[in-house]
This record gives sequence, structure tokens and C-alpha cells, in this order.
Amino acid sequence: MPPAIETVDLVKEYGDLRALQELSLTVEKGEFFGLLGPNGAGKTTFINTLVGLVRKSGGEARVFGHDVEDDYQQARDAIGLAPQEFNVDRFFPIKEVLTHKAGYHGIPASEAAERADDVLKRVGIYDKRDERFDWLSGGMKRRLLLARALVTEPDLLILDEPTAGVDVQLRHDLWELVTELNEEGTTILLTTHYIEEAERLCDRVAIMNEGRKVTVATPDELKQRGTDTIAVHLASAPAAPPDLGPYAHETTVSGDRLEVRVDDGGATAPRLLNDLEAMGHEIDDLEITRTSLEEIFVDLTRSEDRTVTRSSAESAGDDAPPADGKREGEREQEGVA
Amino acid sequence: MLSVGFRALFRREILRFVRRPKNTFMPPAITNVLYFAVFGVILGGRIDEIAGYPYILFIVPGLVVLGAISNAFENASFSIFHGRWNEYIHETLTSPLSYVEMVVAYVGASAVRGLVVGVIIAAVGRAFVPIGIEHGLFLVATMIVITALFAGLGIIGGLVARDFDDLTVMNQFILRPLVFFGAVFYSLETFEQPWQISLSLLNPMVYMVDSVRFGLLGHSDLIGVGILPGPYADFAPLVSLGVLTTGTLLVMAVDVYLFKIGYGLTD
Repeated sequence: MPPAIETVDLVKEYGDLRALQELSLTVEKGEFFGLLGPNGAGKTTFINTLVGLVRKSGGEARVFGHDVEDDYQQARDAIGLAPQEFNVDRFFPIKEVLTHKAGYHGIPASEAAERADDVLKRVGIYDKRDERFDWLSGGMKRRLLLARALVTEPDLLILDEPTAGVDVQLRHDLWELVTELNEEGTTILLTTHYIEEAERLCDRVAIMNEGRKVTVATPDELKQRGTDTIAVHLASAPAAPPDLGPYAHETTVSGDRLEVRVDDGGATAPRLLNDLEAMGHEIDDLEITRTSLEEIFVDLTRSEDRTVTRSSAESAGDDAPPADGKREGEREQEGVA
Repeated sequence: MLSVGFRALFRREILRFVRRPKNTFMPPAITNVLYFAVFGVILGGRIDEIAGYPYILFIVPGLVVLGAISNAFENASFSIFHGRWNEYIHETLTSPLSYVEMVVAYVGASAVRGLVVGVIIAAVGRAFVPIGIEHGLFLVATMIVITALFAGLGIIGGLVARDFDDLTVMNQFILRPLVFFGAVFYSLETFEQPWQISLSLLNPMVYMVDSVRFGLLGHSDLIGVGILPGPYADFAPLVSLGVLTTGTLLVMAVDVYLFKIGYGLTD
């Protein structure tokens, strides 16, 4: 059984700019795969190469074993794409837009009409079926993009930042729906800026930066790559930072609060407590802070040496991708322009 | 060729213009009422017969060609360019349709619009003057070929254009002058200088107008001026149709090639 997506040394160049740099990636059939990366990382270029909206400059790309250029019809037939942009036919009511799209995929008119009704109900905008796209609200437009991707019942569903700029309710609805689809066997490729989204939904994630694959791992594996911080409240402030040995990467003292950076906070805490007690310190309280996926993401996409450290993540905080959605307005503006 | 996907795209393209008659069918109908009223009735009444036909009847084929090919071109170029501009052409491009199916659907639907407009103009002309059809099959074949030709050119225009102004330039500043100097309103036989005829024969529109005139009225300037040597002179309309058909197939091949390389469509 060929993988859902397989690229080998995929390259896309725009003049001097290399949008994709020898990108090799495999997404297995049935997987829920996340693609994370800052703006300009090459995520959309990668997706568009698969669906035929970008012509690759080099390398190979296959969808379920079908080359995206030599066997473009088979490859495209397998894909349902919900893009970032609102690229919907403005001339027709949305139900007709869906029946047309289904028709292009070889689905006869009567079945296409049934499917259009089904997916409009599934995404919750059936009562708007006779409206044109321009009359829908932003959230409904986003739902329609998903409906259009689903109407062909694709084996591979590609969602390019599906929850960008949508409200919490819609975000949760979408999460529920795509989880359901994945459980039904649909392979899903999701690009997102929201780390929480990737952490919650994806079996594996690839982190991309500047057209390159930085790493591929499960969200849990990624989190284990980061360091944790154990904060200890001592009964009395120590005169100097205690000498704790090599497991402590960094030790700082602020009054009666001692902070120790370690690889695995949970496993290291008992040893740290024993060591501190052996040194004569009395411990009032202890708190372990785990590295978030977001911090690891920031670190991986910023550090030249790919070393994950909390301090570097904190220093990069201002440029972190928008986990709180505050930058959505800016992105929407760019889209409109 | 007639796959479900092809039929879906063809239907979509037809519906796009059929549902907007105010933008697609009304303008050529009104414009041609004016043409026939002014050029045919008011001015034409003061002009002697041309090639043995009343002036108003003589100009009918040219006006049919003008309307048909303009609309075929406009439909294809607009459909492609508007789809590019708003990016909804991605719906087609990301589908499993073959490039040949895409092109034939776009060209076919635009040619249909050109043909319908041609019929409308003929019907308007019929209201002013009785019109017969001398060579029906030849007329139909010619109309299909020339509307497909300009639909194919319209696709190239839609792919090449960078903004809507480019489409206007193509239609108003290239297409219309060529048609107006394509023997719509006059006969080549009225020219007294051989160079005038030679120059006119460089204009491809001359052959289209002449072929439609031959189909409708049974008159061909190309036979009259003897474009082919003696014994073959009467084959001029057929040769014209053959050359036009070849040109149409070549243009459609270029369309398919442009779709294949993604010219103006993909990054």
C-alpha cells in the first residue's frame, strides 16, 4: 500500500528564492499529519505542488503512488483541498458550486446534488445553500471551503490553516468533524499556526522552516525534546546556588526560590529533592513546568543549531507564531490585499 | 471525451452566460438593431447594390461574424481571466479533468455563446430584410469553426492578460479593426487597385466573413477576385474553411499546451 503522500527531494524555486529545499516527507495512509512552520516556511507551496497549483522545480511527489505530474488526474482525484484563500466560484449559489466540483470529479449530477446537500448539512450551512458565496459570513465561508473539499469524498483531505480567523465554536466544530473523518479512514494533512491544534489532532507533525523539513515526530516526542524547569521554594534563601551535578543544566536563585532546568522534570524531581535535603536545605514547595510544544516549535524554527532551550524560546517569544489568534487580523488583511 | 467531468464543466460554462442575458445576449441584439437601422436602412438606402445584393442584405454575414467571434472571444477570455483573478479556476485545475477536457469544455461553451449570438443577429437582420440560406451545411461548419477559433484565442487572451484592461484592448483595438477591415461593409470587388485586394487578403477576417457570406448568400468575393487559379477558383470557400479549421485546431493545441505547462495558471 503506497503512502498517502510521498515526496523525495522536492524542490520549488521562484527565481533565486527556494521555496522548497529538497523536502522529503512521507504521510502514511490513514494518518492525521500536521505541517507546522512560520509564515513563508513553504507549507502552502508544498500543498499546492500536490494538487497541481504549483509546478515543482525538481524532485518527486506522489499521492497514493500517483505522480502529481505524470498521473495528475489520479493524484488530483484522491485529494480534497480546503485552502487558505476564498477561491470559490462567485457566479453560482453555493450548492451549485459543490455540485459542479463533484461533477468535475466524475460524480453524476443526481448523486452530486445529494452529496452537496449532505456536506452542507454536515458543516452546518445547509440553510444557506441557495446563497452566493459573497453573501456568507467569514465563518460560513470557511465552512463552505471544507464542504467543497468533502463533496468529492477524498481519500486525502488537505486543510490549509482551516481555523485561521474563526471563532472558538467553529474551531471546535471543525476539530470534531475532521477527527470524525480521520476515524472513518480519511488521511488528513493539516497546516496550522496553532500549536494546540496540532497537539490535539495530529498523530505526527512535521516542522518546516525556510522550505526545509526541520523534524518529524509525534507531538509527545517533540515535547520530550524540550527541557523542564523545577522551581523549589526553600524555607530560607541559600547564600549561593547549590552545586547539583550534571543533570542540572542551569541553576538560578532568586531569594528563597530556586529554579533548576533539567531534561525530564518528573523523573528528576525526587533526585533533586534528595540532593537539596542532603545539602541541608528545607523545602517548602515544588513546581514543575514542562516545555510547551509552542516553545519547542519556536526554538526549532529559529535556532541554527536546532538545540532546544527554554531561554532561547523565551527570548523568541515576541516572534512566536500566534497561538492566541491575535495576529489573525493581520493575516486576514494580507489575504485581502 | 464526453466524461461526466467534461460535461459538468461544459454545463457550468454554459450556465454562466445563459443566466446573464442582460450581459451576454441583449447587448449584441441592441447593437445590431442599430447597425441594421443606420447602416442598412438609413445609409444603405442611398447605396447601390453590392455584388448584386441590396446593401442591407450584403452586410448581414459580416455583422453575424462580428458578433459571433467577438462574443466567443469575450466569453472565453473573461471566463478564464475572471477565474484567475478570483482564483476559482482552482476548482477546475485541482480536479481530475484532463487538460484536453478543460480546453474543449471552455472552447465549446464559448463557441456556443458565439453561435447563439450569431443566430440572434441573423434574426435581427431578418426583421429588416428577408434572408435565405444558400449553403446550410457549409454555413454551420464555418460558424462552428470560427467561433471555436476565437474561443481558443480568447483562452490565450485570458491566460496572458494581467488585468481587465488587457481584455478590452484585445477586443476593441485588435479584433474589431480587423473585422471592420474584413469586408463586412464592402466587397473586395469594389477595389480598383490590385494592392488593395492583396492587402485585404492578409486579413484573416476576410476569409471568415467571405465564408459566412458564401453560406448565407451564395456569394464569395474570393471567387470573384480569383484568389485561386482558373479551374480551382470555385473552391476558394472550401479552401478557406480548410485553412480556418487547421488554424482552429492549432490554436486549441496551443491552449492545451498552455494548460499543461500552467501558463498564467500555476506558480
